[in-house]
Amino acid sequence: MWVPAPGRGYSMKNKTVKITFLLLLLVLALVLVACATTQSIALKHPATEGMPICSDCHHDWRSSLNHTADFDTRHRFWASTNSQSCNVCHNEAFCSDCHAHKEELKPSDKYKDSPNLALPHRGDYLNQHKIDGRINPASCFPCHGRQNNERCKVCHR
Amino acid sequence: MKIPTKHNHTKMGSPPSWMRFIVVSLVVFLAGLPVTASAVDVTGTSRTYLTSREQADGTRLLPGYEYLNFQIQDLGSDTISAHFGGWAGYDFKEKTGDNDLQYGYLSYKSKTANTIINLGRVMVFEGVAAERVDGVYARTDLMANFGISAFGGNPVETGAPLGDVAASSGNNSIYGARLTHQTPGLYAIGVSYLKEERNGEDFRKEEGVDLWLHPMNKVDLAGRSNYNAITKEWMENTYNLVLGPFDRLRFTTEASWINYKDYFFGTTLSAFTFQPGILDPNEKVRILGENVVYALTNKFGISADYKAYSYNIAGNAKYYGGNFRYTGASGGAGLSLHRMDGDADRLKYDEYRVYGYSKLGKIDVSLDVIDVKYDSAINGVSNAYSVSLAAGYDLTDRLKVGADVEYAKNPDFNRDVRAFLKAIYQFDVGTGARKGV
Repeated sequence: MWVPAPGRGYSMKNKTVKITFLLLLLVLALVLVACATTQSIALKHPATEGMPICSDCHHDWRSSLNHTADFDTRHRFWASTNSQSCNVCHNEAFCSDCHAHKEELKPSDKYKDSPNLALPHRGDYLNQHKIDGRINPASCFPCHGRQNNERCKVCHR
Repeated sequence: MKIPTKHNHTKMGSPPSWMRFIVVSLVVFLAGLPVTASAVDVTGTSRTYLTSREQADGTRLLPGYEYLNFQIQDLGSDTISAHFGGWAGYDFKEKTGDNDLQYGYLSYKSKTANTIINLGRVMVFEGVAAERVDGVYARTDLMANFGISAFGGNPVETGAPLGDVAASSGNNSIYGARLTHQTPGLYAIGVSYLKEERNGEDFRKEEGVDLWLHPMNKVDLAGRSNYNAITKEWMENTYNLVLGPFDRLRFTTEASWINYKDYFFGTTLSAFTFQPGILDPNEKVRILGENVVYALTNKFGISADYKAYSYNIAGNAKYYGGNFRYTGASGGAGLSLHRMDGDADRLKYDEYRVYGYSKLGKIDVSLDVIDVKYDSAINGVSNAYSVSLAAGYDLTDRLKVGADVEYAKNPDFNRDVRAFLKAIYQFDVGTGARKGV
């Protein structure tokens, strides 16, 4: 006669509860999606010249997206909360120029002809990274913490 | 040259399995398209670079790179598209090469409910997650202004630090989700969760709350608080407040609290594991910053910024200065002066920068000069600088060629000269008219 291993009955019951819960969650999600009536945002924004000042045309919350000089320090909040807004104008190639998985060229080297852009690692960054890394290593981490750090490992073994 | 900077190139071999998979998938998918395939719209950019730079031992490297990104729209339906971005490089002196797939996925975007499903190598930016994943990402609006997103797959990361080889070579997985609620134009709040396993063991468990608040015109608050569910402590709390513009004045305030032990917990780089005496792994930092911008005219602007770093263990530091900026129709210029004033000797220096750029018909030129004066010399150098000059020419509306040269002196190089040639070709001028887009 088959005898369940100790705890197996509880485990099976627990698994059934989990699967049932996930199925109910899926059904609920499908119902909620079906009831959503929002119109998707536009796939593409007409091309603009220079840094876009959204408030020139949009007099609502979109003025928050104005690409003013300090936008480079604020763009992370938009990217992590409303990346769809970014994708209306930018594709991933734009993000990947800085936020790379593996990279050998500094962003500022690719765009030396645009010194007005707030690109990281301008000038002598070999020495400067020791200073920036000491001041605020958290500013290095999003790009080099788990990706794009193979060049770092040449010295940081 | 005083410290090694040699980069480890890997031998150029056969394409990795993921690349073969994606290429084969795309070919099969395209071959199977119905007659509407004639409407397929391919846009993209090819960027070819050839650089010359010096290595630690004095020899010169001559690497060339091809960066290719494209997207294929209307794949049988105007809601389906394919996206690809990657690069390949080869050093003509060392005869070695490398390559990388930055992203590559099939995408479905619904015309309603902002429903998106991406399948392949996807980039995920959702609350606590800022990841590259070989897997799936999906999001959709729900009823009553709720929204939900989820992702899962294999994390696209480098290996764990040395000594933890097993954790970087086994079966790894990452998944997460974010639930949001918003009142359009007023606020958006999200809660998110992320879990990453390496070899079946928890590598990261993170929870986050993100917020955007627009209570009235000219007031914007954005920020996030992320919690490390393994160390049971907050990783970071970062908030940013923008006030203005009031007439010509705008204020930006930033406040961050970061706990090193919890923030840098899941890293694959030994530099972030820290060592007492250099950076204490139990360090905590509070960063408060203010940036005030005043627009003199539509073209001229000045700004002042101040940032204070307060550490629990190491000494404090403050960074402050000012900028002047001119932005014209066919060019611009900028000047900035900053002072880093910290308790440690290395954190005492003045920083100057001046730049200009101009477009004259089909020709563009730019100049950038950066100078740093250290209070205490580093490697015998108290004045480090770099001067770069760049020029470009629009051969056609779609093809641009350019060259630049940089001369630098710094604590690591007595004389560093770098040259850079590039050719940029855009498949579709209409959607690629803006640089970087």
